[in-house]
Amino acid sequence: MHIGPGFLSPAVWTSTAAVSGAALAASLVVAGRRLDDRRVVLMGVMGAFVFAAQMVNFPVLPGTSGHLGGGFLLGVLMGAPLAIIVMASILVVQSLVFQDGGVEALGANVLVMGVIPALVGTAVRGLWRRRAGPIADVVTFVGGVAAVLIGATVVIVLLRLSDALPGSVSLWQAIGVMDVVHLLIGVVEGAVSVAVVRFVVKTRPESVFDLAPGRAEAASA
Amino acid sequence: MTKTNRNTLLVGLAAAVVVGGVVSYFASPHPDGLEKTQEDLGADEARHGGVEAPPVAFDEYSLKGVGEGFWANAAAGVAGSVLVLLILLGVGRLVRRRQEADASPEP
Repeated sequence: MHIGPGFLSPAVWTSTAAVSGAALAASLVVAGRRLDDRRVVLMGVMGAFVFAAQMVNFPVLPGTSGHLGGGFLLGVLMGAPLAIIVMASILVVQSLVFQDGGVEALGANVLVMGVIPALVGTAVRGLWRRRAGPIADVVTFVGGVAAVLIGATVVIVLLRLSDALPGSVSLWQAIGVMDVVHLLIGVVEGAVSVAVVRFVVKTRPESVFDLAPGRAEAASA
Repeated sequence: MTKTNRNTLLVGLAAAVVVGGVVSYFASPHPDGLEKTQEDLGADEARHGGVEAPPVAFDEYSLKGVGEGFWANAAAGVAGSVLVLLILLGVGRLVRRRQEADASPEP
């Protein structure tokens, strides 16, 4: 879902860059209070993995593929500040080294694939702190779908504001075309997110929540 | 670095290398959801002066000079994953150092 070079107008890319820049700065300030060696390593490893996972495009409709975003999953696992830092790093590397996403569109891409899904992920994070179960599964799945659809809708709005959609197409038509595809991509994003969160919460709850290993065992007993 | 952290690092990096270096070779070559939407809407022509980074070492997810193929893709997956990892370890360390400097009392 990377917005390529030349699609956003200067007004749109500068304002989205300002929003994402502010979110990233705030994330770095908050992260400073939370980071320890363990978290720094986890952040690095999860970033490497999400980068790799984004390379795996899967077929969704004839002639169309999709790939994971990962911002939602990271939001659930680590909370928005760390998730935003990780997603921003991935998107910078993709844009500067692999020509994936316009350089001037970086702020917009960080907003759509980093800030927004990370915040949605953080909203459902608390559920897993209490108890893993069917409710947490379902809410996380729906959250994953919603995160992708909100991001996809924002992309279309940004393109419309940039005058990068034909005048003959209404905003709602464009959102319809975009969101039908991204509903399917979102279903995969939601399902993968549930599977990964379940696995991590079960095997390494202390890596997700601020619990000492001993207390994590007591809490899950 | 503690043993747990080293294990996390090795296992996570191994997973990233397998997914980005091997599995991604079998990825769908079709345009992604946004690209396809832009094509379908007749909106796939850039109208503003955009900036694309020059393909210095990698031409999209393909290492230059070794042809298009498994190894060109594998190199991109491994290099990208390691680069993201190093950036995050660096950023994490910098943020932590500032935090420790703030916490220590003035001499």
